[in-house]
Amino acid sequence: MTGWHLDDDLLRRYAERTDSLAEGASAEQHLLSCGPCRARVNAAAGVIDVAAVWTRTQDTVEVPRPSVLERVLRVAGLPAHEARLVAVASAFRGAWLAGVATVLAFAGVAAAFGHARGMWLFLAVAPIVPCLVVASSYDPWLDVAFEPELVTPYPALRLVLLRTIAVLALALPLVLLFGLVVPGAAAFAWLLPATGFVAVVLAASTWVSPLRSACAVSAAWLAVIWLLAARSDAPEAVLQARAQAGFLILAAASFMIFLIRRRRLRQLRPWG
Amino acid sequence: MGTTSISLCDVGRTFGATRALAGVDLDLKPGVTGLLGPNGAGKTTLLRLLATALPPSRGQVSVLGLDPEVPAERTDIRRQLGYLPQEVGFPRGFTAFGFVDYIALLKEWTQPAARHAEVRRVLGLVGLSDLSTKRLRAMSGGQRRRVALAQALLGAPAALILDEPTAGVDPEQRVTLRTVLAEIARRSIVVLSTHQTEDVAALCERVIVLDRGLIRYDGPVTDLVAQAAGRVWLADDPDPAAAVSWRTGTGRYRNVGGRVRDGAEHVEPSLEDAYLLLRGGAPERQPTGELA
Repeated sequence: MTGWHLDDDLLRRYAERTDSLAEGASAEQHLLSCGPCRARVNAAAGVIDVAAVWTRTQDTVEVPRPSVLERVLRVAGLPAHEARLVAVASAFRGAWLAGVATVLAFAGVAAAFGHARGMWLFLAVAPIVPCLVVASSYDPWLDVAFEPELVTPYPALRLVLLRTIAVLALALPLVLLFGLVVPGAAAFAWLLPATGFVAVVLAASTWVSPLRSACAVSAAWLAVIWLLAARSDAPEAVLQARAQAGFLILAAASFMIFLIRRRRLRQLRPWG
Repeated sequence: MGTTSISLCDVGRTFGATRALAGVDLDLKPGVTGLLGPNGAGKTTLLRLLATALPPSRGQVSVLGLDPEVPAERTDIRRQLGYLPQEVGFPRGFTAFGFVDYIALLKEWTQPAARHAEVRRVLGLVGLSDLSTKRLRAMSGGQRRRVALAQALLGAPAALILDEPTAGVDPEQRVTLRTVLAEIARRSIVVLSTHQTEDVAALCERVIVLDRGLIRYDGPVTDLVAQAAGRVWLADDPDPAAAVSWRTGTGRYRNVGGRVRDGAEHVEPSLEDAYLLLRGGAPERQPTGELA
């Protein structure tokens, strides 16, 4: 016995297990030989909110850990609950993303080494990837839990826009990455068409299902590319300023239509 | 909060050329109402209408005193609604807790501590507290059905719309769920469709029988059962005139309807007998409930 005793603060930290390893070992050693301090442990332990500790333990075991995407979205400023709602979209599944990356890698390599034909292939694939991924992020057909989700008060329009932005934030850098291997201006020429197609899909989703509209847009774009490739070997046709301005106008007009008709979004139907 | 009632006035619903519901009038109050009918009778369509998952082709629907045609009122309805669809898909990789937690987020439970406590409460109600961390794909069909039911129970809804809640659920759990639903029905409107007549008999004070989009019967369960009194009997042979007839485990035939023969043994009718009798026609005697 040295006459020294554990102070209240140290005792509380020991009882709550919030002390350091060294501090805890030292406190425990003292408690083994000090009756008065041992008598104070129960009182210190009494301040622990057992229910709160149990809830924290349950949370640790039960609450799903946020995915990498969720954590990125939180860092980007999205509240935790909305990051979860966005990350659930089918478009963020690993298999779907791996498929998209494979197609883009193939198109990128073809463009890098396949001369004009490879370039056409890249220009055919790159602009339609974002709109297909966007559509798959909120299409009722791909959303297996659509019906329980539909009858909740959460605004569907907000969910669709959040998922669209998140998907674009993920898809655009991915396509840009593969575009780096593409020589010349084509590496970026797909950006405006892609933006235009996403806006068209959003606008068309106020009439038909998102996936159907994305498939229609993709088919139309592939047909245009096929026709251009058949007529000329020069992919530069897509890169001309006039064509790019056309895609910009298409994007702006489509987004305006979407804003005007937003309450008739397919996701809100059949009530919209 | 609006009125605690759901009313339908001359409500019809068509899908292309197919008529799913025709001129349905209903007024639902707190308590459990059972919905019986053959496949394709319009039960799911009716429940989807009540749950605001589908608008009517004609007629007026009012849920809890609110009009689902008005977007703001529809959102208010959904805040007070629990809905279990006939088929629920689950996103891949979800646990039971994760899925119910996800639906709770959509139901505006944004505060984590309160939301997690509510998720635990509803998983406890359906007897899945011990399986909350189990992945849904590793669960049995009955367990997944209970997870789907748990999400409908979030937030003690004023109206609970359940499409075949006990499908694939084992007998013990069915009894437990009946207790839970009966307790909820003390203050809420509970409407459930099922093919299990014993669930309706054990739980519902009111039963609605739908057939080809029309209400064939709407009234107390006991009144419907009473319609079959004296018309269910056992004999050594099937009666060709009976509405239905089948061989029981004792080797005798249970005949529902038809002409009771001499020496036949009368038995107490069940709700299933009464339902089969109603479905089988029996033009000489119609039940006293509302007939369309």
